[in-house]
Amino acid sequence: MVGFSRNILRTALIASYIGIIALIVSGVSALFSYLNTGADRSSMLHTEIKKADQYIPTVQWAPITNEGRPIDEENLNGIENDYLDAWYVMQVAYKTNTTAGIEDYFTDNARENIYKFIALNKEAKINIESTTLAHHPTLEFFSEDGQLAVVTDRGVVEYKSVYKDGISILKTKEVADYKIVLLLEDGFWRIRHFVKEEVEAYHPETIAINTDTINLKGINYYPQETPWDMFGDRFDKDLLLKDFMLIKEAGLNSIRIFIQYNDFGKAEVNPDKLAKLKIALDAAEETRLKVVVTLFDFYGDYSVLDWTLNERHAEKIVSTFKDHKAIIAWDIKNEPNLDFENRGEENVIAWLDNMIDLVKSVDSIHPVTIGWSNIESGTILKDKVDIISFHYYENLEDLDASIAVLKAAIPNKPIVLQEFGISNYSGFWKPFGSSEEDQANYHQKIQEIIAANGLQFMSWTLYDFTEIPKEVVGRLPWRKETQKHFGFINKHGERKASYKYISTQ
Amino acid sequence: MKKKLTYLLLSVLILISCLVLAQMSTSNSYMNGLNLEATYEVGSDIVLKFSKVAGESPLIYLTSSYGSTVLSPEEKDNEIWYRLPSNISDKIGVVRWKCLSEGDELTGKFTLEPINTVASLETYIGPPSIEAGGTDYTMMVVIPTDSLDNPLPQNTLVNVQHQFLEVEESEEVATKHLIAFQNLYSKRESGRMLVSSSCLGEDSKEFSINVAAAIPVDFSISAHRPHHYADGNQITTFSTSIIRDKHDNVVSDGTYVNFLIANADGNTLSSSGTTLSGIATAKMIHPEKAETWRVTAMIDGIAESNSVVLDYEQVIEDFELTFSDHNRALTVGPLQSFMGQMIPDGLQVKLFIYKDDQLLEIIPKTSVEGYVIFYLEEDIYKNGDYRFQIQAAGMDKKIDNIKLW
Repeated sequence: MVGFSRNILRTALIASYIGIIALIVSGVSALFSYLNTGADRSSMLHTEIKKADQYIPTVQWAPITNEGRPIDEENLNGIENDYLDAWYVMQVAYKTNTTAGIEDYFTDNARENIYKFIALNKEAKINIESTTLAHHPTLEFFSEDGQLAVVTDRGVVEYKSVYKDGISILKTKEVADYKIVLLLEDGFWRIRHFVKEEVEAYHPETIAINTDTINLKGINYYPQETPWDMFGDRFDKDLLLKDFMLIKEAGLNSIRIFIQYNDFGKAEVNPDKLAKLKIALDAAEETRLKVVVTLFDFYGDYSVLDWTLNERHAEKIVSTFKDHKAIIAWDIKNEPNLDFENRGEENVIAWLDNMIDLVKSVDSIHPVTIGWSNIESGTILKDKVDIISFHYYENLEDLDASIAVLKAAIPNKPIVLQEFGISNYSGFWKPFGSSEEDQANYHQKIQEIIAANGLQFMSWTLYDFTEIPKEVVGRLPWRKETQKHFGFINKHGERKASYKYISTQ
Repeated sequence: MKKKLTYLLLSVLILISCLVLAQMSTSNSYMNGLNLEATYEVGSDIVLKFSKVAGESPLIYLTSSYGSTVLSPEEKDNEIWYRLPSNISDKIGVVRWKCLSEGDELTGKFTLEPINTVASLETYIGPPSIEAGGTDYTMMVVIPTDSLDNPLPQNTLVNVQHQFLEVEESEEVATKHLIAFQNLYSKRESGRMLVSSSCLGEDSKEFSINVAAAIPVDFSISAHRPHHYADGNQITTFSTSIIRDKHDNVVSDGTYVNFLIANADGNTLSSSGTTLSGIATAKMIHPEKAETWRVTAMIDGIAESNSVVLDYEQVIEDFELTFSDHNRALTVGPLQSFMGQMIPDGLQVKLFIYKDDQLLEIIPKTSVEGYVIFYLEEDIYKNGDYRFQIQAAGMDKKIDNIKLW
């Protein structure tokens, strides 16, 4: 008996010994393999650099007729890249008053000038957020040994937002000419001399676009199954055609659709998405509907250093479709006034102002608007937009008075009530919500107001939705549920009572 | 003179128009510019003065070549002063200013011009080595700058001096786009070109350009050897004539020359050398048997020489073989050279061992004091009959049925 229990003890001891050893070995090996991860030899040398474009102003080289050695494409690209990077690091330096990166793009002597400015501005608590939007460089000279180049950069459009003690004191657009001497030093084209030869304030002329023929009677459109994801994997032309026919038959003449900034690939616009957008526009043309395209949906940064990226995005989309027959207007941004609080009203307005200039520079035919979330914001940038658009989800009693105020401020431009509607959700999260009947009454009444005031309109929205992405109204269930029931057609495809008032008939 | 007058007239016009512009932009304003000028020299103490008005004096925004800033006002008597910091006043270029006052926009601009004396001549020259013959050239780029590191204005004259052999030349070039540049062509001769520049009394340091000979033309070769015997010991030296380019310049030291030696069997041996003062040499050890060599030298893809034919005479006419120690020791020799002397150490002798017509091994050995001794170990070569073959100095000897015991 004693022998038996001793054997048990022995076995237990040996087993626990083996167990502990196994644990230690596995622990050590896990640590060892952890320390070995990531230390890929190829990564040590930084041979593989993933370049993401941070700064892409338009660059138009003058025809190459330089003195000295004839330049080849590679060297010219090298100069352009490093020159733009120099601008970029300079913008970052003046924004943050730090010197990171300057030494890579300015020679020993030249960088001192920037350091002095940074010291001065830091001392005076001045920060300058700036960007350049356009460059028109001319290669004046390229040395025989390929180590020195002189470039004249004319018509550099610079935007600057100057802050003192964190308060914005100046926003200015300037156009300047620079003469630059660059040296090739250890693989970088570095700026040696930087001379501003001319500078003026820049006020691009806004050319008003005739809007006499425009009379929008429309609706904001998303497919029922894929709201806020119109150009995703479930994109279906037949479905769009069916919906567009329905809209046309309801007596409407236009739709408003949304282009999500990230979804469309930011600065590098995804060609697949463009192809889908073309299909959607073709479908609209087929059904004789006009389309208001809203750009920059779900974008909310507006930082000055993002401007060049935003411009390339808008430029690509607008230039691709400016001749499409279905397009009737460009809506720069949906409800940008909601970002005033977080991003600064002045920053957002400066961004919109600039983006209107850009869109108009690309497309001189179609009018431009901004979909303000309330009627009070309607007067912002009223001289730059061609159509005034506002959204209205407030009390209908006050609408007439508000319209009168807006019309007094802007007597000569068409006004579009670009979003309105009411949810007929009434349930657990909102026990005293509106009924379908209330919704129908609302639409009947607002159509009367629209007709009485001679407004154009685009209602919200065709369908009740079953899924609402969190980016739209957040995660709170009472908001999501409410958002699901704005449609004229319920989730079973049945027309609600309000459908009768979808248009003025 | 006429040109000068035009410039003068033009600058006066510009000055007047700038003043008028400044006047115009300030005419409706409550604050007036008092001392605004169209141009200043860099490094000077620049203060923008305005007449004082009621209320708080505004900040002023300035943008210059390298950056922008905002200055606070100083109030002096009935004036508002904005003293430009040195980082603006020291650099050339156009400066735009704007008073950050509510209401009327008070704005203007002025130009900062460089000090018209040269403090340094930043000189870049390249490529540092060019080819003689008058078609290749190097380029000198000069950036004359003032004491505050500003490039001098357009059309500043820069003197480019260069010396080559007997010739010293000097040319004037005008700056354009902040720089002045000059192409310096080579002459027919190779050598070293010394270059410098000067501008407004300031001189650069000296730069030198290596003018290398152009590509070589065909040349000839010769061979030198202590005797014409194939003793496998002495060395034949091949050397080229002085290799030159078409302008008679000696090619650069270190030009690589490849010597190819075709032997009687059609095989090619190769040796190489690099030039020193135009002559390249290469060496090759004498063959061990009678041979005819045809030697050609070439600078790959560029130039080649004539061919030289060399005959080598057989020195070893015959040799003896002696077996001893149960036939396990095989002595080859004496191996005698052309005067009967023992062949110098190092002649290769090969022993082929066969058993039952099967080649077992080839043992190469080199001669020591005229003899080669092979020892066949008992552990490896068991007792029995073997057949041997010996090769030396191009001769073959066979011995059948030797019994090892």
